[in-house]
Amino acid sequence: MISMEKNYAIVAKNISKTFHISEDSHNTVKHRLFNLFNPPRRKLVQALKEISLEIEKGECIGLLGRNGCGKSTLVKLLAGVYPSDTGNIKITGSTMLMNLGVGMSHELTARENIYVSGSVLGLKIKEVDAIFDKIIDFAELSNFVDTKIKYFSSGMTARLGFSIAVNAGADIMFLDEIFAVGDVKFQEKAIKVFESSWIDGKTVILVSHSMDVIRKYCKRAAFMKNGELKFIGETNKAIELYLEDNH
Amino acid sequence: MIRVLTDWVKSSNKLERLWLLAKIEFKLRYYENKLGLFWALLKPILDICIYYVVFKVVLKSDVPAFASFLFIGLIIWNFFVESTVGTIQILSTKKYLYEYSNMNKLEIYVSTLMSNSIGFFFNFLMFLLFYNFIEGESLGLTIYNIWIVVLFVNLFILSLGMSLILSNIYVIAKDITQIWAVVTSFLFFLSPIFYSLKTFRNALPSFDYGNPIAGIIINARAIMLEGTNPDFTLLVWDIGYSIVLLIIGFIALNKLGSKAAEKL
Repeated sequence: MISMEKNYAIVAKNISKTFHISEDSHNTVKHRLFNLFNPPRRKLVQALKEISLEIEKGECIGLLGRNGCGKSTLVKLLAGVYPSDTGNIKITGSTMLMNLGVGMSHELTARENIYVSGSVLGLKIKEVDAIFDKIIDFAELSNFVDTKIKYFSSGMTARLGFSIAVNAGADIMFLDEIFAVGDVKFQEKAIKVFESSWIDGKTVILVSHSMDVIRKYCKRAAFMKNGELKFIGETNKAIELYLEDNH
Repeated sequence: MIRVLTDWVKSSNKLERLWLLAKIEFKLRYYENKLGLFWALLKPILDICIYYVVFKVVLKSDVPAFASFLFIGLIIWNFFVESTVGTIQILSTKKYLYEYSNMNKLEIYVSTLMSNSIGFFFNFLMFLLFYNFIEGESLGLTIYNIWIVVLFVNLFILSLGMSLILSNIYVIAKDITQIWAVVTSFLFFLSPIFYSLKTFRNALPSFDYGNPIAGIIINARAIMLEGTNPDFTLLVWDIGYSIVLLIIGFIALNKLGSKAAEKL
């Protein structure tokens, strides 16, 4: 039993998520008191119906589905950012969720952000020291090491985030449309990293609308529709279902 | 709660991370303004000057060594306020730390309070210098001073507990900020910060047992200025308060704080 569990990075059983969206902002003490007997009209949005899935350690799995099908919600649940309403999730290792930005503070400099992110991802200070120059070089930011992120352009911030993710990386990476970062030259670099041994040994959950990307890197893929996991298995089959859904 | 704690202690780079976050927090707070760290030292001294003029010069307070009396009371009070009022919105301002990873939120609190502790340490050093070299009615250093370690741990736990409770309520009720501002000013005037313990106890009997921060200030004066042991009954009460509040704080973090990423 224990040895079986060891091979999984994420085991999710019957997880679901419903968002309560109230029409008037009901988030002050005053408002709550005065409307004690007049509860707010709530709209329930079931973003995710009961889903169970297992993700193996070291696998690269694709996640497909049209906008609003619950991909991002599922990713946030699996990354441990949102709590699940039902069921349970077992996450083994540190997670990192990456879309256009990663967790960086705009009040801190590039240097401080690299140390904080590296540390949050589980590295020791010495380990961050060792990869510091690599991160800066890759992000092409050697002139802005001690500049606060808030003075960066969005491209610079995104490159720094990508570079931290690539060089520090968590055990489990959730990559949400990351190939849209930076200019063409940077994208080529990003793809090169992806094609090198970077993803070997890492668990990667790849969210993308690019079928080429999914087909290239993922052995397995999941297809989602209306908050349900319709299919998980062979990549080509998942892509087929997704393309059908788009027509 | 036990899961949160064991998870927190287990990983090896956590202490390093806490210290890193605390240092950055401290730097952000003081190095941003022109006066820098100097401001951290200047602030309590200016406060003391104001209260000294009001209570000693104008109102003719009869408390002996009044400046030191204010000094120790105010640095304890300031730590409490910085750690509670200053952290109500912490889950919002530090969102970047937890919205992209599964980092334990408790670390955010502990590191911020550690940063405040650095500030307290400098202030306490200033107090020691003032009390031993400038204060005319000083007793000097005594063995009882060591109790400050226990009192500070007590203060830290109390502040952490309150900080957890308030900032997690903030997730569902934003105006806790204003409510707590009123409560702190109430606590400020109902703690014996600038009047003598006797006046305080005569006017509000046994209120020192009802106000956890008052007890810490009273005991700090006993050990630093009066050269006695702390009032042990009061100490036990205060430690009891802080542990209960900390437990409530952990529950709040698990119940409300887990939703911070989607609510804030």
